[in-house]
Amino acid sequence: MNVLTVSDLKKEYPRFHLKSASFSVGKGRIAGLIGRNGAGKTTILKSIMNVISSEGKIEYFGLPFRENERLIKQKIGYVSGGFDFYPLKKLRLIGKTVSSFYDDWNEQTYREYLERFSLDENKKVNDLSEGMKVKFSITLALSHGAEFLIMDEPTSGLDPLSREEFCDIILTLSREKNISVLFSTHITSDLMRIADDIIYISDGDILLECGLKELINRYKKVSFKNVEAARACKISVLGLKRVKEGYEALVKTEDLSSFEGEAKDVDLDEIIIHLETEKDKKKCF
Amino acid sequence: MFLNLLKKEFTLALHPTSVVFVFFAAFVFIPNYPYEMMCFFSCLSVYFMCLSGRENKDIFFTCTLPVRKGQAALARIVTAIILQTALLILAAALIVLKSFLFPEMTNQAGLDANFALLGWGFILFAVFNVCYFPLYFKEPNKVGKPFLISSVVLFLLIAAAVTASHAIPFVRDYIDRPGFVHLGYQMTVLATGLVVYAAGSVLAARLSVRRFEKVDL
Repeated sequence: MNVLTVSDLKKEYPRFHLKSASFSVGKGRIAGLIGRNGAGKTTILKSIMNVISSEGKIEYFGLPFRENERLIKQKIGYVSGGFDFYPLKKLRLIGKTVSSFYDDWNEQTYREYLERFSLDENKKVNDLSEGMKVKFSITLALSHGAEFLIMDEPTSGLDPLSREEFCDIILTLSREKNISVLFSTHITSDLMRIADDIIYISDGDILLECGLKELINRYKKVSFKNVEAARACKISVLGLKRVKEGYEALVKTEDLSSFEGEAKDVDLDEIIIHLETEKDKKKCF
Repeated sequence: MFLNLLKKEFTLALHPTSVVFVFFAAFVFIPNYPYEMMCFFSCLSVYFMCLSGRENKDIFFTCTLPVRKGQAALARIVTAIILQTALLILAAALIVLKSFLFPEMTNQAGLDANFALLGWGFILFAVFNVCYFPLYFKEPNKVGKPFLISSVVLFLLIAAAVTASHAIPFVRDYIDRPGFVHLGYQMTVLATGLVVYAAGSVLAARLSVRRFEKVDL
């Protein structure tokens, strides 16, 4: 069962066009929304929170979002980067105010997370580090029993240790509590660590939506001494780019039987870089 | 749920000066002063609330809570209505008090402190709400321009009232009178003000909610 199904989501800005995005997030799955800066990640996340107006069909838990906005928002938690709202207010006041909006707010869970994350309720938002702000956002989201977390670049301001801790938390929530997560990031190492599925967006287009393992297995990396060697290759190469010792490109694993050279495994970063290079190349010609 | 939104407006969004400005109802005790200015300060408090809301990313935060997007706009307008009504109710009490303490004190700078002044205050608020909120909720990040436009309209109306209190015989003789003199006329202006205020606020809310639902935050 899907917790989120998006069909034909469109949004037009003067200089950006989200083109008919369709994707879904399954129950208990961690889906990573990736793409370069300005690709449309935040536009998608804001659209599915109805913070910006958009066209298309959005369903949560099988219910149309716009008709059931209040009910659905009871079951989802939104975490935008850090908690950068009300910088001069104390966490106690914010927590108390937020709690009144949720039917399933669990004060005990809230206290447990505050303690676990060493969050002092008497501190103001301004006094928190970026990592603590993310933790406070997560605390608020989890205390109302959210079944689905939507996170907009939650790890971008975090140091490596805090990112690791964040990944641990998300994995635990997904595996032990069956909570689904959709989070945007451009830090692919976080996705390699925790994501089950990848939604790859480029220039307002969703280019890929599949399991992380499937994506990693779909491509291999091959090397060439020069461009001529790449052109002479019998199979199609994607995103040919210069590296220290010649050139590298992606090839589809299924095409490898016709390739005579050595093919190496790739990570998510390399896939994205080569696919973006390929797209840029097509744009140029 | 809407009550929670209102509570949130008062605990997280409201600028502290907004409450202070309610007590500017005491302006009615200042000799020879355009008492309508207390309405301007109340409108200024709405501006402060929207300004600090922008700095705190309040509207975005509200939209992530389990409420319909349009309710965020409605809550802000109802908060303004509460502040405006509180000011005029307090002013009513102080006008009654003044009429006993200083029954002969007239005002050379504008309308006298009486119930007609309250009715005129409601009309000023209605005009402000209709001008300000639909413009503000069309682009909530631009707080200044709607306030500038609304303030110009507000000051023109205040100037019109001050002028009318001297230049129009009916206003001078029957409306601009201290205490409870010609109470029937005063109450008619008050009732008219209440009707205009109710209609204006409903119009402002409808336009604002409709516009805000299309806004990209």
